[in-house]
Amino acid sequence: MSDRPDHPNGEGPGEVARLLSYVVLLAISAGLFVEAANIPTSRFEKLGAGAFPMLVHGILMALLVSAIVGSLRALPSGAWGRFAASITAWARARRLVFAVFICLALYLAAMPVIGYPIATLVFLAVLQITFAPKTRTAIAIALVLAVVFSFGLNWLFAEIFNVFLPRGR
Amino acid sequence: MDAFLLGASELLSPTTLLWMLLGSMAGIIAAAIPGFTVTMAIVLTLPLTFAMEPLQGIAVMLAVYVGGYTGGLISAALLGIPGTPSSVATTFDAFPMARGGQPGRALSIGVWASFFGTVISTAVLIVAAPPLAIFAVRLGPWEYFSLIVFALTIVASLVGNALQRGLIAAMIGLAISTVGTDPILGRPRFDFGLDVLAAGLPFLVVLIGIFAISQLASEVEDADAIKRGERLATGEIEFHTWAVMREVLMRPVNLIRSSLVGVAVGALPGAGGSIANLVAYDQAKRASKTPERFGTGIADGVVASEAGNSATAGGGLIPLIALGIPGSAVDAILMASLMVHGISVGPRLIMDNADLVYGMFLAMAISSLMMLVVCIFSMRMFLRIAEVPKWVVVPIVLVCCVVGSFALNNRVTDLYLLGFVGLAGYALKALDYPLAPLVLGVILGPIAETNLRRALMTDSDWTLFLTRPTSLVFLIAAALSITWAVRAHLRARKAAATRKESPQ
Repeated sequence: MSDRPDHPNGEGPGEVARLLSYVVLLAISAGLFVEAANIPTSRFEKLGAGAFPMLVHGILMALLVSAIVGSLRALPSGAWGRFAASITAWARARRLVFAVFICLALYLAAMPVIGYPIATLVFLAVLQITFAPKTRTAIAIALVLAVVFSFGLNWLFAEIFNVFLPRGR
Repeated sequence: MDAFLLGASELLSPTTLLWMLLGSMAGIIAAAIPGFTVTMAIVLTLPLTFAMEPLQGIAVMLAVYVGGYTGGLISAALLGIPGTPSSVATTFDAFPMARGGQPGRALSIGVWASFFGTVISTAVLIVAAPPLAIFAVRLGPWEYFSLIVFALTIVASLVGNALQRGLIAAMIGLAISTVGTDPILGRPRFDFGLDVLAAGLPFLVVLIGIFAISQLASEVEDADAIKRGERLATGEIEFHTWAVMREVLMRPVNLIRSSLVGVAVGALPGAGGSIANLVAYDQAKRASKTPERFGTGIADGVVASEAGNSATAGGGLIPLIALGIPGSAVDAILMASLMVHGISVGPRLIMDNADLVYGMFLAMAISSLMMLVVCIFSMRMFLRIAEVPKWVVVPIVLVCCVVGSFALNNRVTDLYLLGFVGLAGYALKALDYPLAPLVLGVILGPIAETNLRRALMTDSDWTLFLTRPTSLVFLIAAALSITWAVRAHLRARKAAATRKESPQ
């Protein structure tokens, strides 16, 4: 959550979001550090497979702890209070971004089942028509492009490059 | 001389030149599509060259190679997405320049810088191939590890005002590189029994997810602008060929330094264009009198990155030709192509096949000229990309990213990874984490780990990192690099604090 001018509540909520990200990353890094420490070492080498990850996560945890301390000191008073309202406004302003990620997730999940051409046709048609100005020309262009980049690209890869995109079950 | 003339006569035949022209166009187009890399373009070209004469085949592949290094610039400048890993640093200045209303100038500067970078690297290749290759091959694991430590300190100057988050991002990149089988003993790590993690996180999928998906998602943040049919870039679509050529040539120090950085990095096995552009950009920023303007859309940034990445094409051929050691994946494919034709690559290559080697030198020069001609005549067409509304570009480029990620290994699990990394990349971007250090960490992680462990397997004495002269030089350079970055960061903070206080 960047502190951009369009942001409703200035610096505070952005810093709260970053502080939360440091905490989440610290938890993940600590977990992976423990996991790395449990990797058995080999008698063939001084450092085992877990040594380098432990080094990396050790430095990462030190950086994150220092970032958390710095962030707590820099946090303006009342930032937590504004955070909930601010994040709702931020998410509402980026509704199309969420639409993109939801469509992408469904597209990637459906591709191995229904195959590349149909999944791509539906993905492109839905996303382009959602974004496009609601005119007949725009919708016609969207549909033509959807066919070209689904069935057309599939043909190109199969026939020219001998790369077979997922065909579905 | 006879060998040179023999090579030249074979290379300058109309058929070879036509094939090279097609190769150059294919390289530019392939690399311009996010998700498709120079390596993939070369892999797809390889089977087509089996039926050709050895020099003809290798010349076509070199044309794809040189064209590919320039093609990455197109999407970097117009979409803010590096078309290839070698154009990551190009996005830092070419994209703001294009967004600032000068897409034509951004591309033109990049094309000319690439051309001069390739020409300079070809000249160095011809003169310095043997001594440079011998130096590169003498580096042991201690020197390589120290070199990587030095390369990682570059992060400090890539992070702008967010030094701490930049370092965190670099460490996240290194952590990502440790997922999957370990590089020395092949022991599985951090896979949690999931297929998607067992093979590790492929660097290109991470790159596409972090840069492309997050950038595309950012493009649709303004819902109203999308509905109005907003374009990617507005402004003057003029290439200004000769004026920009002069503009690039007016920066001789930056041009030559970046090209030499590209050659040197390209000559080191395992490095290549993906690192050279960042190192060259970093050096240009450090040497600049106005480093704070880097990242705002200045010509020096574009020149450094493009000259640096294009020069690695010549640099990578140095160890390949002199010692038979490929400097990068692309060089390995070039080597495979020579071996398919029954030519053994190694120190005897220059002695046994002098015409072929001289032909390769000449092919590099011709390829760069062809790339320039193709770009000058077709760039107006590429610039039309900027006029396409976002509602068309965003979904289609998303599909290209998905296809590129799948075609890399033919693995469906890579697609799930792409979606997840894309979401994580967008979250990090929204939280103001710099993304370039993360990618650098992913690239350098395996090289650092392999060399650290190999060094200690060879000799368990840690002090060797400090007592071997070349290793010590790299470590001192790393220390100086960090000191410089911290000083610049503190100075910038002090200046910002003074500005804040002054109005009161």
